[in-house]
Amino acid sequence: MAPQQQQQQQQQQPPTSQDWDVKFNQVRREKLFRDPPTDRTAYPALQAAVDPHIESFNALFRDDGRPSLLDHALAEIGTKTFLDGDERADPAGKNKLTIRYKSIELQKSQVPPTNRWAKNREIFPAECRERHVSYRGKLSATFEYRINDGEPHEFVRELGQMPIMVKSNKCHLQNNSPAQLVARGEESEELGGYFVVNGIEKLIRMLLLNRRNFPLAIVRPSFQNRGAAYTPYGIIMRSVRPDETSQTNVLHYLSDGNVTFRFSWRKNEYLIPVMMIMKALVETNDREIFEGLVGPPQSKGVANTFLTDRVELLLRTYKKYGLYSKTQTRAYLGQKFRVVLGVPDTMSDYEVGTEFLRKIVLVHLGCQDVTEQQDADKFNMLLFMCRKLYALVAGDCAVDNPDAVQNQEILLGGFLYGQIIKERLEELLTVSFRASLRDYLRRNPTVSFQSDTFLKDFPIAIFRRANENIGQSLEYFLSTGNLVSPSGLDLQQVSGFTVVAEKLNFLRFISHFRMVHRGSFFAQLKTTTVRKLLPESWGFLCPVHTPDGSPCGLLNHLAHKCKIMTEGVDASTIPRLAFELGVVNISSAATSESVVVMLDGRIVGWCTPEECKSIAETLRYWKVNGENGVPLQLEIGYVPPSNGGSYPGLYMSSQPARMVRPVKYLPLAKEDFVGPQEQPYMSIACTEQEVIPGDSTHVEFDPTNILSILANMTPFSDFNQSPRNMYQCQMGKQTMGTPGTALSRRTDNKMYRLQTGQTPIVRAPLHNTYGFDNFPNGTNAVVAVISYTGYDMDDAMIINKSAHERGFGHGSIYKTKKVSLKDDSRTRSAKSIVKMFGFAPNSTIRESTRNTLDNDGLPRVGRLLREGDVLCAWHTVSADYNGQLVNRDGITHYERYKDSEDAFVEEVRVIGADNGTEPLQTVSIKLRIPRSPVIGDKFSSRHGQKGVCSQKWPATDMPFSETGIQPDVIINPHAFPSRMTIGMFVESLAGKAGALHGLAQDSTPFKFDEQNTAGDYFGHQLMKAGYNYHGNEPLYSGITGEEFQADIYIGVVYYQRLRHMVNDKYQVRTTGPVVPTTGQPIKGRKKGGGIRVGEMERDALLAHGTSFLLQDRLLNCSDYSKSWICRQCGSFLSTQPTVSPFIGKRKAVSTVRCRNCATRLDDMEGDVDLMQLDGEIWEDGSGTQWIGGENTTVVAVPGALKYLDVELAAMGIKLKYKVDKKDEIRRGQLVGKKAGELMLTATATA
Amino acid sequence: MSSREQYQVPNSQGFTTGASNNDGNSGGNSGGNSVMWYTCGDCAVRVPLEKGAPIRCQKCGARVLYKERTKRMVQFEAR
Repeated sequence: MAPQQQQQQQQQQPPTSQDWDVKFNQVRREKLFRDPPTDRTAYPALQAAVDPHIESFNALFRDDGRPSLLDHALAEIGTKTFLDGDERADPAGKNKLTIRYKSIELQKSQVPPTNRWAKNREIFPAECRERHVSYRGKLSATFEYRINDGEPHEFVRELGQMPIMVKSNKCHLQNNSPAQLVARGEESEELGGYFVVNGIEKLIRMLLLNRRNFPLAIVRPSFQNRGAAYTPYGIIMRSVRPDETSQTNVLHYLSDGNVTFRFSWRKNEYLIPVMMIMKALVETNDREIFEGLVGPPQSKGVANTFLTDRVELLLRTYKKYGLYSKTQTRAYLGQKFRVVLGVPDTMSDYEVGTEFLRKIVLVHLGCQDVTEQQDADKFNMLLFMCRKLYALVAGDCAVDNPDAVQNQEILLGGFLYGQIIKERLEELLTVSFRASLRDYLRRNPTVSFQSDTFLKDFPIAIFRRANENIGQSLEYFLSTGNLVSPSGLDLQQVSGFTVVAEKLNFLRFISHFRMVHRGSFFAQLKTTTVRKLLPESWGFLCPVHTPDGSPCGLLNHLAHKCKIMTEGVDASTIPRLAFELGVVNISSAATSESVVVMLDGRIVGWCTPEECKSIAETLRYWKVNGENGVPLQLEIGYVPPSNGGSYPGLYMSSQPARMVRPVKYLPLAKEDFVGPQEQPYMSIACTEQEVIPGDSTHVEFDPTNILSILANMTPFSDFNQSPRNMYQCQMGKQTMGTPGTALSRRTDNKMYRLQTGQTPIVRAPLHNTYGFDNFPNGTNAVVAVISYTGYDMDDAMIINKSAHERGFGHGSIYKTKKVSLKDDSRTRSAKSIVKMFGFAPNSTIRESTRNTLDNDGLPRVGRLLREGDVLCAWHTVSADYNGQLVNRDGITHYERYKDSEDAFVEEVRVIGADNGTEPLQTVSIKLRIPRSPVIGDKFSSRHGQKGVCSQKWPATDMPFSETGIQPDVIINPHAFPSRMTIGMFVESLAGKAGALHGLAQDSTPFKFDEQNTAGDYFGHQLMKAGYNYHGNEPLYSGITGEEFQADIYIGVVYYQRLRHMVNDKYQVRTTGPVVPTTGQPIKGRKKGGGIRVGEMERDALLAHGTSFLLQDRLLNCSDYSKSWICRQCGSFLSTQPTVSPFIGKRKAVSTVRCRNCATRLDDMEGDVDLMQLDGEIWEDGSGTQWIGGENTTVVAVPGALKYLDVELAAMGIKLKYKVDKKDEIRRGQLVGKKAGELMLTATATA
Repeated sequence: MSSREQYQVPNSQGFTTGASNNDGNSGGNSGGNSVMWYTCGDCAVRVPLEKGAPIRCQKCGARVLYKERTKRMVQFEAR
């Protein structure tokens, strides 16, 4: 075909379809797989699931001309001023250097210019994974400086290599079609959203934080610890700047009615009377503040004596400061906070006070070039916060629950990343640069900023001494998840921000991106309130998909339709519309009279409760209809007046980091986006039938919208007991499935793969929408529910041996071993090459090694490796006079394969340096370990029904049906009654009908009801195929051929093989390595240790009377040891072997004597007649002669006992063992007597 | 066993050099200029590399090379 024609045909082709149904779609999938689309992905839902991560990163460096987050951040950092001359001298007369960040740029990942060979200058993520390096680009900043307000000059500094998020706008893979992705070594459906750090895929996980720009009413007993008169009442406001950094402001109620303002700055807390802040913000007087809090004289608020009393006191107690005007107050604040804020000496106190208000007080209302209007907004907001605080104390306003999604938002990975970058940039100027500049000025005291020497040295010589490698600190953050920050970034934790995006199977991988964590601070909390499933989470967080155990309820997953706003929406028309709808500026403290109208934490105005309701309804109508510039994603949180409920008002938010979800707006039958703050006050029907006329305003598009992606994959989950669905969400993520299709380009440490994956017969249409057929996760199995072989106790399952031989559940594990000859140390000095792969010249090499390794010292691809086999060879080199690297010692070193399992060499990757000049220093060897199912491997259905394979039963002995079908799997009927997984029965039924008719069965939950039951629907399908309506069938014993008394429930169920396999778990030992001090077995499977027989196990053995077994476990197989003891003094420690002066050292110990009971020959008084002495004279090691102490014997004792003896002796406690007289060696006739016990008594030495 | 190890596939440069060294009875001449062949990960071209040569594809400059599958007979016990 001519190219023109081809082009034409391509143009005629419709774009790749993105609609999916429940059917198998074999041909369509085959085509998609063979020829990945060149226009767009067929699975947009998958990309949408990850988008919040990518979009949040994109917001850092925009390419659409609008200011990016980092632009906002640079503006907020502002200009820094430095002075020359003596530090202690007065600022007057000094030269001034002002410097600011003008812009910051990030390059895409590229080969360094020193590499002359690379044709393609781009570095793709796939290469970084393969080379075990980070995917990063060059970060650089443009600075602008002036000296004494002269001409601005610019210069550029490089800030290191910054890790880039895959598929972000700084990644080469952005907007790539599936065909391009495949060509670049990625999955056809590569999602991005993670970073590649040292070849490992890392992801910043989403965190739940307090809702931004909303005053939360909190009662927290710990507030009382702040000082005398502090009460538990407070208002917390988390203010967020345009660059997504935040500053939390808290108002505390004091028992005398006063209010203090608290904030935290660089991890220190400060308290200020709120009146001082109010007076500093605007030029005001006591009457204005009083009326702002209580209301105008005629209003109902004045009648509230509780409030007026306290406000009066608030105003009165402030008098003691004697600060009246705005100027006075700001100067006072500036004087107090000059040191804390670290401002230059040139600033006046008043300016410092202004800076304080800009940086700390309600920063969301203005944090750069603050106008008077913004200060007034801050003032009004403070008044409102005080009013809410007084209402809280009076009991007119309920406590806001900070654990409910209603009062939460999400911290996105990209935003956190941006916060870290901002802080590092500010640190670079205010700490590193300041220090190096000061250092420079100290070394050159005569140099002024205007001198030529300085102009020559600035910026290069001065910046060289500053640590400007921001990229490295970002890489550290990603690889460890630890936040190193002087301010703490207004967060409650310092570690655990990143997780590895494990590609165990695709379900697990995708779940990582939908995961929302409450924060590791809450994991330590003893109370369980934060973990509770609250109704507010409906539709935002999945009620099913949370792990059980310690992270339960803290680690949630987003519902699959829940979106996270990554950009603010344009709400600029809202204030005007609000005023047109009747909002006014005058307010009173009585909520029956006036309620607040707020937009993004700014008070627009006030109106009556009735007006408020109608404003909310009108705005909602406009919002859904797209009229008057009201954006669709605007959240209109209308809180109705109530008796002591939440503080009423209209709280609108347009900013990013909110969760939103689509529901149908009934008046217009159009899509509306609902946020968590407004949802509790709305009437949203679950289904069309549940719509209550006149009450319901919305209806769900689908009841399954509340479930996460994974929870939606559980078939008929509405038939199951709910914990079983939770278990399935866990087990789905532990399944040995298909991690991806680009396996040859991956170098994960460990990867599991199911060789014989199938598409499930029973699945929801979402299975296709998310493209899970590209990553099969299990096998359809014929399952009979019968107690058959006796090997099916307690969740054991029996696998048909022939099914196993046909490949049922067959899997492999891929392990990658990286062998690097480079020094791991970070020091740049040792860059020279000291080792090389290969055999050292002139060294002797074994024949067996020759057969294992090629000439390059690397293993042959395809070879079988056994434990202890050689993996690769290397030798040391050093440069000769020519600069040639030669080996001098002639010794070949080997790396060995240490695992006990046989493996095959799958791939050997030789990895070069990115400058293309280094010889081989790193290889990455991928090994494949075949894992066919064996007895003890774990399997599960999709209903939380896990089981362990207990037998592979011969097909000849398996029961068979009348159509000759044999089950692949037999499970015990006892698995069902207590667990109530009816969904599994229905799946079995549907699977059977689907297999018989060749249909894919829709298993979406909530599709059947009491009138139209699932059993009936699938039963009739079975009947049509000539089977029993109930799914039972007569089965015949495979052994006798007789029909069973009962019909057996048999059908097709999708089975997953879990990654827990006996080969990774079995532990066995009789003897082996021991702890040297006690002689007891060491712990740990890897080291060949034992399993502890603990106290409870001991009790069980005692209760069974199996004392011989007990002795075997606790003594003989543990720290059994023979030891000499002195019978006379009862001590282990005083015995010692005699040393014969005539025989060499090597002779075995023949006699042991007690040194304690013996007498030293030299010490004997007077003339000793050796002939008179009773007993033998013996010598110790130093040649001293002794006599006596012969009454020693050998006993078997635990090694730990001797250890105890030694430890106690060290503390001056002597143990004395009474060896029974009866056990003395008998010289005469042996009488059959029972062996006595060792009696133990402890006597303390004086 | 030994006869199996000495199985040779004709007309393969990479192998013949390796095999000739192998026949040299674990002698010391393993160093020198033995050339091994690798495959480029980007352009799939076969790359000969001497010992100690910089790791890069001679055609496209790619920095990851794969070792070729062994030409030796690989036979395992079939169970």
